[in-house]
Amino acid sequence: MPEVTSVVQRAPEGRRSAAAVEAEGLVKTYRSRADTVEAVRGVDLRVEAGEVFGFLGPNGAGKSTTVKMLTTLLSITAGRARVAGLDVGREPDAVRRRIGVALQEAGLDPRQTGRELLVLQGRLFDLSAREAETRAVELLELVELTDAADRRIKGYSGGMKRRLDLASALVHEPEVLFLDEPTTGLDPASRLTVWDEVRRINERGTTVFLTTQYLEEADQLCDRLAIIDDGRIVREGTPARLKAELRERLGLEREATLDDVFLDATGRTRIHVAGEVQEVSA
Amino acid sequence: MTDALVLGQRALREGIRTPEAIVPTLFIPLFFLVVNVGQAAKIFPGSTTAFLHGQGYGAFQLPSSMLLAASFGSAALFLVEEIEGGYFDKLRATPVRRSAIVLGRLIAEGAKALLIASLIVLVGLAFGITIASGVLGFVLLVVLTALWAVVYAGFMQIIALKTRSAAATNSAGLIFFPLLFLTPNFVPRDLLTRPMEIAATFNPVTYIMEALRSLVLVDLAWEPIVLGYLVVAVAGAIMLAISIRVIRTYD
Repeated sequence: MPEVTSVVQRAPEGRRSAAAVEAEGLVKTYRSRADTVEAVRGVDLRVEAGEVFGFLGPNGAGKSTTVKMLTTLLSITAGRARVAGLDVGREPDAVRRRIGVALQEAGLDPRQTGRELLVLQGRLFDLSAREAETRAVELLELVELTDAADRRIKGYSGGMKRRLDLASALVHEPEVLFLDEPTTGLDPASRLTVWDEVRRINERGTTVFLTTQYLEEADQLCDRLAIIDDGRIVREGTPARLKAELRERLGLEREATLDDVFLDATGRTRIHVAGEVQEVSA
Repeated sequence: MTDALVLGQRALREGIRTPEAIVPTLFIPLFFLVVNVGQAAKIFPGSTTAFLHGQGYGAFQLPSSMLLAASFGSAALFLVEEIEGGYFDKLRATPVRRSAIVLGRLIAEGAKALLIASLIVLVGLAFGITIASGVLGFVLLVVLTALWAVVYAGFMQIIALKTRSAAATNSAGLIFFPLLFLTPNFVPRDLLTRPMEIAATFNPVTYIMEALRSLVLVDLAWEPIVLGYLVVAVAGAIMLAISIRVIRTYD
């Protein structure tokens, strides 16, 4: 297992002052009759307010489990987490009021229209019927779904569903937005649209906690990132610092890429065979 | 309660947009009503069968059909669909009370059951069945049926939350067979064989059926009516307590 390399960049003055997400020794253990699985094994994290923070890792590394604990959707086996300054375990409802969540599955109700879904979401965050209607119109405009607003969601494309899911996470103007693999399965054009939305949301002051399997996405969007493997954080820092550190450590002649950092951090290597790239475990 | 009502409206809209899930709930119970009456009406002629209080056998069978309809709620299957699709987590990530998430669907289930129970009674009236307890009796009849539909759907929701599987929830739904048939379904309890009578006595649905039946066949007889409502209230309280515990500890 590679050692954890932490390359933390100091936050620019005025923009980042308080931690939006803090986790200490976060553990999630699943127990069944047959065995016990440690999905997350002591994660420490600190995400400053206003950041776009990337959370990377191979499939099954513990990304989604960590996000679900931070968003109150899973109980925490051990350790503690604070989101928007509130203890996740002790004040889950208060945390829910301050966060927006768009999970991996783009969880939407296919029988509702886009507008109905957003209005309902607004009502569940204590907006009046009129306020919820107004907010839905604004958000539909923001994610460019106004024309499809009154169509049932089951007829939406994958990209439209992702954008609507994103909009539904923004109904109550959250302080921290959790996006779990927001572009998985999207075509390149839809992916770029989601990236633009994430940038726009962040520019408005929302902290974004983003999990992704796409290293280019992390490179493009994230101020800082952490790589999790086998339930533990194995790298943390800004993309630039992580790449520089790897280049220096391995004495590379070329610039290191985030792919190199990822493969190094997770103990994987690439073998190039007849023009194909195969990934193998070291 | 506002959250539960808002979620109830959504579940009701979902039901209206899925008529294929509601239509059988009306037609299958009516089908069984016709079949059961066709098979047994000659054995129990209204003119000489004391327990029919002068009505036809259809009046005796009407409550069974209403309870069958009440057991066809689709809340649990919609819930499993929502869990599998991820929308359930979206709702859990909102600050609404956990109980509202459970109650929303049950409110919709109650509204649908009121409508279906009323339609079944109206069809019965069209075929000569009379509600001996009058307008108040009609109201008590459909409300008790709808309340039982809510309780039954609530227990199915608990199974859906625990198993998160459509197949398991569907299989668990088959419990309505023993619940419905270990009752004085075809004849009053005192005409059942001894083992069947014991089983029916322990079955809570028996008391609901007897309450419904008294409303159809005799004027307001408060003892069975109160007993029926009491059984539903106790079962409802147990269902709610378990539901809230299950959703609060849902991981």
